[in-house]
Amino acid sequence: MAFLEWRKFHFFDLHPNVDDGKLSELFKENKITTTSSGNNHLVLSDSLGQIYLVSRSWHTSCFRAYEISVDFTQQMTSAPILVTIGQDEPGVNPLIKVWDTSRLDKNGSPYCYRITRALPGNRPVQVSALCVHDNLQLMAVGFIDGSLIIYRGDVTRDRSSKQKVLRTSNSFITGLAFKSTASNVFLFVATEALVVVYNVTQKDKEQKYHLDNIGCAKKCCVLAESMQESHFMIGRDDAVYCYTSDGRGPCYAVDGEKIALEWFRSYLIIISKSTRSTNLTAMPASNENSINQSVVNETNSITVLDIHNKFIVFSTTMPKIKAILNEWGALYILDEANRVYHLDENDLQSKLSLLFKKNLYDIAIRIAKSHQYDSDGLVNIFKQYGDHLCDKSDFSGAIEQYIKTIGKLEPSYVIRKFLDSQHIEKLTMYLQALHKRGQATEDHTTLLLNCYTKLNNSLGQSDNLKEFILSKDGDFSYDIDVAIKVCRQGSPAEALMLSKKHEKHDWYIKIQLEDHRRYAEVLDYIANLKFEEAEHYMRKFGTVLVENAPHESTRLLKKLCTDYKPAGAECGPLTGNFDVTVRADPEEFIHLFLSNSERLIEFLEHLMGEGSVLSRPVYNTLLEHYLHVWSNSENVSDKNKLSQKILKLMQNPDVDYDKSQALVVCHMNSFKDGICILVFNGRFGHQEPTLWVQALWSCVRNKTNPSMDLLNEILTVIAKEKLFSPQLVVDAIGTGNANVTLGHIRSYITNELQQERKKTKEIAELTANYRRDTDKLKELLGKLKEDVVEIRGSRCAACHHTLELPKIHFLCEHSFHQHCFQSFSDDENECPTCQPENKDLLELLKAREHNKDLHETFHSHLEKAPDGFSVVAEYLSRGVFNRYKIIADEALQKTLEMAPERNNNVKREPATELATYGAGAEARLRQSEVKSKPRAAPVSEGRMRTQEHRYSHSLEANMEYWKPKSVAKSAVKSNPFQGGGVSCTNPFGEEDYDEAKNPFNDGEDEDEDSDRNNPFREDLRPF
Amino acid sequence: MSYAYLFKYIIIGDTGVGKSCLLLQFTDKRFQPVHDLTIGVEFGARMITIDSKQIKLQIWDTAGQEAFRSITRSYYRGAAGALLVYDITRRETFNHLTTWLDDARQHSNSNMVIMLIGNKSDLESRREVKKEEGEAFAREHGLVFMETSAKTAANVEEAFINTAKEIYEKIQEGVFDINNEANGIKIGPQHSPTNPSLPGSGSSGGSQGSGCC
Repeated sequence: MAFLEWRKFHFFDLHPNVDDGKLSELFKENKITTTSSGNNHLVLSDSLGQIYLVSRSWHTSCFRAYEISVDFTQQMTSAPILVTIGQDEPGVNPLIKVWDTSRLDKNGSPYCYRITRALPGNRPVQVSALCVHDNLQLMAVGFIDGSLIIYRGDVTRDRSSKQKVLRTSNSFITGLAFKSTASNVFLFVATEALVVVYNVTQKDKEQKYHLDNIGCAKKCCVLAESMQESHFMIGRDDAVYCYTSDGRGPCYAVDGEKIALEWFRSYLIIISKSTRSTNLTAMPASNENSINQSVVNETNSITVLDIHNKFIVFSTTMPKIKAILNEWGALYILDEANRVYHLDENDLQSKLSLLFKKNLYDIAIRIAKSHQYDSDGLVNIFKQYGDHLCDKSDFSGAIEQYIKTIGKLEPSYVIRKFLDSQHIEKLTMYLQALHKRGQATEDHTTLLLNCYTKLNNSLGQSDNLKEFILSKDGDFSYDIDVAIKVCRQGSPAEALMLSKKHEKHDWYIKIQLEDHRRYAEVLDYIANLKFEEAEHYMRKFGTVLVENAPHESTRLLKKLCTDYKPAGAECGPLTGNFDVTVRADPEEFIHLFLSNSERLIEFLEHLMGEGSVLSRPVYNTLLEHYLHVWSNSENVSDKNKLSQKILKLMQNPDVDYDKSQALVVCHMNSFKDGICILVFNGRFGHQEPTLWVQALWSCVRNKTNPSMDLLNEILTVIAKEKLFSPQLVVDAIGTGNANVTLGHIRSYITNELQQERKKTKEIAELTANYRRDTDKLKELLGKLKEDVVEIRGSRCAACHHTLELPKIHFLCEHSFHQHCFQSFSDDENECPTCQPENKDLLELLKAREHNKDLHETFHSHLEKAPDGFSVVAEYLSRGVFNRYKIIADEALQKTLEMAPERNNNVKREPATELATYGAGAEARLRQSEVKSKPRAAPVSEGRMRTQEHRYSHSLEANMEYWKPKSVAKSAVKSNPFQGGGVSCTNPFGEEDYDEAKNPFNDGEDEDEDSDRNNPFREDLRPF
Repeated sequence: MSYAYLFKYIIIGDTGVGKSCLLLQFTDKRFQPVHDLTIGVEFGARMITIDSKQIKLQIWDTAGQEAFRSITRSYYRGAAGALLVYDITRRETFNHLTTWLDDARQHSNSNMVIMLIGNKSDLESRREVKKEEGEAFAREHGLVFMETSAKTAANVEEAFINTAKEIYEKIQEGVFDINNEANGIKIGPQHSPTNPSLPGSGSSGGSQGSGCC
């Protein structure tokens, strides 16, 4: 019989004497006949017809229910209803009584709802079983002759109750149990000879199903309600058989003659006659005394089965057991001597620790799961189990457990255990699971792939890696980049596959290029990509590709720059007109061909052939490489051919190349024809005027006489563009080796002189104008300051009606009615008529202030302007170096109170301008302004100019007037022209202003020499 | 859960051939490498579909131990199908087949469909009983034969479902008396649409007649 039973554990403790002997005291003389429990008390009945209700504190209340005896009791668990069957008279005369234990009558005994005679048919039969449905609508009473009465209707009422007698069999009914499903109510009936079930859902339609041909003894059946499909269990000598309403269910072999079955939570408690002799030592030591005291001939064994987990969770032998009572969430056992034992279930923790001690982790897991143990706890068990299995060297088992910990347990814990090369397979399993759960980090991926590779090497299982790589994205989540990186080291084929699959073109190309050097394949691959990607990768890897597979790369590049389509994509005939193909910028690719001029030329020529318009650098490059090839080629005919090509290119008007660069390149390669074209084409002259100067130099230096036409041309341009001062020209020609006579340059010199003269005259006129204006303003100012201003205006400037008091006069000789003034003016200090003009002026000044700070604009102007100096001069005039703000002149305003307007204007202007006016070139600036070239300038500039025309004379004059004074006053320290060597030549920088040194004064004396003194007129212009 | 038919199976065979594992694999789709001895009779149920009809399989998984033979014998009678299992890695389990078969035939109704199953087909390296031998035995005794692996789940579904198909065919042929519950076949409640609350009301006449006492 060894081990022919379930595993045994000790999950219960038996505590004796929990009632302090109160019950044994109570039942000293009388015998307990039947027991029940529910609704917070135990119900014990004695042979004298008395019923005892026992509370939790073992306090008993007693009442007499029957005259003779109580045979059956059932206390409803959820209602204070107690149903009893007993005898009031001698003989067989069973009476059903229904009590309300919550209501007491005047005698202190519970209220009795109903008394019904239990008679199956017309003859008295002894009752053998009682069962009341929890809904209190159904009651069944079984008799010893096998008949059965079903009472329908409220069990507490006599009237509404209908009874029906059913005949089950001829054998003694031993047990009854109601079972309700969602739609049906079944009544299980166990007799001594068979088991049947009735479907009692509908009245008068009771159906009987035969379940088995074996029966059980009294009390040896129970309904296991907490099971998934509640089973009706009957205990027989060999086993406990279970039944569902469908038929037989499982069967648990438990030896021993059963005395009683009881269901508690999910445990089946079996009381059976002990087959072995009493073994008192099996009891806990503390209990021994109490047990030993009673002289026990017959012992019972109590076995508690965990049906769900299939364990025996408690088993012991003890004195004869009378009843098992299940109340208050605990289990009490009453023995023949009326002693009460408490069967106490251990808590989960102690159960688990017991199992851990025995290393029965799998069972612990099962139990923990069935107790809805929280996941953290479970993970802990899995971990312990895994550790245990590890210790036992059952690594695959351990890994299985560890896999269950994924998500809670730190993976490194497990990985460290399995890092040994022997366990690589298990480690792989774990890592795979980790990936499947999406818990893997980069390192894990790396490790896993490394494992795969190692496994490949050692066992030749190359499928794993492939499988992993080719698995759908949902199966494994991992970092592809990492995967590729790792694969690349171990198994490049897989890396390629992986990168291709996940469209990691970067990796694919890199691997192909760096590891395999398969350039043609890479090019094919790129050709299959979308345009943007193809372009990107060509740019990225073009250098290597062009170097190693020049022809193929060039072909691809050509395609890219003309009409690229992914090689895979077929283009239907309908899309023939679809001409919006994207083209790559050839410039991007030129650098790829650095060392491969032939290919570059091929490439660029192809592009030109395609008629695409290329940018300037592209042409430059093409030219450069043409020349490079040209200079390197030995073959004369090739050279000629090339030079033809080059010349054609240079002369092609569509070809926009940088002439000066071309010149340099031509020089470098000593491509004379090119230089000729460039230089004498003259086209470059516009771009870079200094070339003309150089041309002049080269002209005159040549020993041979230059052609007069050329010299003339050069000179004309120099004169026109003012590239060189005439004196220098003469110098240059004089110092040159060439035989150039004065006659050659006569016309030039005369021209120049005439021009100079004209210019001088203009300047002199301008100066005179300015001076006149200044004088006028000076006079006006003096008047305003010292003289009385006579206001003669007789009409209001606003309404043109005759002025009447109250009126307002301004010094600008505008007069207003007060009400007119109030309705027209925005500011009571300003004359409304003059205000717009003044405002414009102020804005102009502000704009200048503002513009001067825009350094970047300045620089860009400077770069763009053909005449850098004038830009600088203009900026100086705007006060680039001026730190003074517009002087608000409030004090002055106050003294002049009502009409300071005109005056203000006059005063303000110089205040701003004077510091601005640091450079001696102002005159020239003005001069050029009069010419008013259109130039790139902010919008405000345009407005400024127009304004300036209006005020030009007076403003300039003002400046003249105010300048010396305020220079002296504020000692314009920020003016750079004052401190540097320049300042000495600048007459305005000096404190003792001397009219004689003003260049504007001696404008008429100005000749070529004075021009030379001007620091801004140096030959090599600083800008 | 409603069903058209309910078939009762019994799994028999020597101890340790993997009867419980077959059941576990079929009902729970899992494999437990370490399985405690079956003490008595275990029980499992699963729904399958045959011929677009829901069929509930109730399976008794019996203990293989000789000691429980008396208990398990009582289960033969109510079964419509039996899986007779042996272990291909242990010849003696194959040798005992005749005993099992005699036992089954003696205690069951004559129409019971018996399927012979050679389990543990995953342990090819330790095979002791050739597949041909199993086939021959099945042919000889009029059984259906199949090799399965409860571990890898190979053929497990098929074993149960093929048996069910066979039973279903027999019902169609009228070989089984479906009204006699002792045959291990029960008609589901939905076959009595007029009175859905009563299970098997369509067969009520038969079930009343089955009261044998």
